[in-house]
Amino acid sequence: MENDQDTAKPSSRPIWSGSITIGLVNVPVKLYTMIRDQAFSFRLLHNADGQPLKYERVCIRDNKVVDWKDTVKGYEIRKNEFIVFKKEELDAIRPGSDQRIRLDKFISLLSIDPVYFEKSYILVPDKSLDAYSLLMTVFRQEGKAGMGKVTMRTKEYPVVVYEYRGALILTTLRYSNEVINPGDMEDLTKLKKPSEKEMELAVKIIKELSGEFNITEYRDGYREKMEKLIETKMKGEVIVAEVPKKEEVKELMVALQETIKQLGK
Amino acid sequence: MGELTKVSFTNLDKIIYPELGLKKSRVIKYYIEIAPRMLGFLKDRVIVMNRYPDGADKDGFYEKDAPAGIPAWVETFNRYSQTARRDINHIVCNNLDTLIWMANLAALEINTTLSTIDNYDTPDLVFFDIDPEPPCSFDDVIDMALLLKEKLDELNFRSYIKTSGKKGLHVVLPVIKSYNFKQTREFVHQFGKFMARGSDIIVSEFRNSRDPGTIFIDYLQNIRGKTMIAPYSLRAQVRATVSTPLEWKELKKGLRPEEFNIFTVLKRKNDPWEGLLENKQSLEVK
Repeated sequence: MENDQDTAKPSSRPIWSGSITIGLVNVPVKLYTMIRDQAFSFRLLHNADGQPLKYERVCIRDNKVVDWKDTVKGYEIRKNEFIVFKKEELDAIRPGSDQRIRLDKFISLLSIDPVYFEKSYILVPDKSLDAYSLLMTVFRQEGKAGMGKVTMRTKEYPVVVYEYRGALILTTLRYSNEVINPGDMEDLTKLKKPSEKEMELAVKIIKELSGEFNITEYRDGYREKMEKLIETKMKGEVIVAEVPKKEEVKELMVALQETIKQLGK
Repeated sequence: MGELTKVSFTNLDKIIYPELGLKKSRVIKYYIEIAPRMLGFLKDRVIVMNRYPDGADKDGFYEKDAPAGIPAWVETFNRYSQTARRDINHIVCNNLDTLIWMANLAALEINTTLSTIDNYDTPDLVFFDIDPEPPCSFDDVIDMALLLKEKLDELNFRSYIKTSGKKGLHVVLPVIKSYNFKQTREFVHQFGKFMARGSDIIVSEFRNSRDPGTIFIDYLQNIRGKTMIAPYSLRAQVRATVSTPLEWKELKKGLRPEEFNIFTVLKRKNDPWEGLLENKQSLEVK
């Protein structure tokens, strides 16, 4: 199951820092991204000259470009009917971040339905190593996770904090009103009970195909094909990619190392 | 870049080959990767750079004189020029850093002399510049080069060929340092005259060199201080062609100079010019 080649690279900068607070206890931490989306993204280019395109806000009445400073936010109450909000009005009700992950309850991690999990972050101790270690160790030993909430970038999330592979992990959760109750789906109300014979067979199949969870058995075929395609295109074809300068220098360094090695023979 | 190179790169994003969208970083990378095949030939030769800082499609400029702000570690060769009536500080490319430095100056085309700085007046290369005038086809040029090779073989001369990266072919004979440029020039001229006699399209004299549909064996390149585009130098051409050393057996009708470019040349396994400088020969006809 451990397959380090197959994990995403850690990021170098924390995206948030603050403390886990449990009552009066504080554990200062930094928050790092744990999930790295591996999807390919394309930039939209002008077919004629291969130059990148930018987006502009155009008024649907006179087709003129509108500057950011001349915009307000509108909430659509009925089709094409808006109530207007000023920035100050929205700012006033936004929760302010107080740099705290407030935990107020300890639960079993397994008791959380997976449908509520949203996104995971790695918590790293910010100076206070002992407090961090204590919290992590007690979570691991007791099989418990801390429930609470945090405000990040003006949005408040329910979160769960738990131990995973020698680190404290924070996973944001969905609010209950964000998750649809499947019992409300009409087609599901008409299910009938399977026969004993059917069940016997089904159980047999499941037993035969039982195994351990191993995510590395699954590969992103589209991504692999895409990587190949990009490689082929880069070899013979035109590239008008906007590679950041740093990357280019890195590329030159790799070429240099190779050449210096060859010249040294 | 720290220890790997003394060159500090500038404007890596600058588009140099606009048709292909190639940036200066790509040009530098090419020269880094081709260096093992190129440096041996360049050693101790005066360099003339053709720089294209605004891109291969814009006007470039010749740089015979070492440019202002030349780093102290770039070797130079100082010599009085009769035509310029002053001392000229020529660049000599004896290491990887200098090659990279030139690439960073957008010196796409790197030209070298036919002699080395230790013996500047004595050529060690004889240069047949096969230069076609439209509507001559490249197949005609190939024919002519093969004919030249036949003649050289008959006289037991070992010759090497490369594409010019443009429309012509370059044939080179490495020679012992016992002749002056007048002799090597006359040597090539004699071959031209001999071949022109039996051909409708080959011309041996400069005055005919721009006649439509002819191929001129340009012997006038064999002059002290004159340069030839270096083997493996890029050309400021739309397709980023390279002046590419070939095996004689590769030279067949249908071959096109555009086949040899920034993308393809590095994939070539062997260097047909390997050992060229160790094969210096006498010009005495045996």
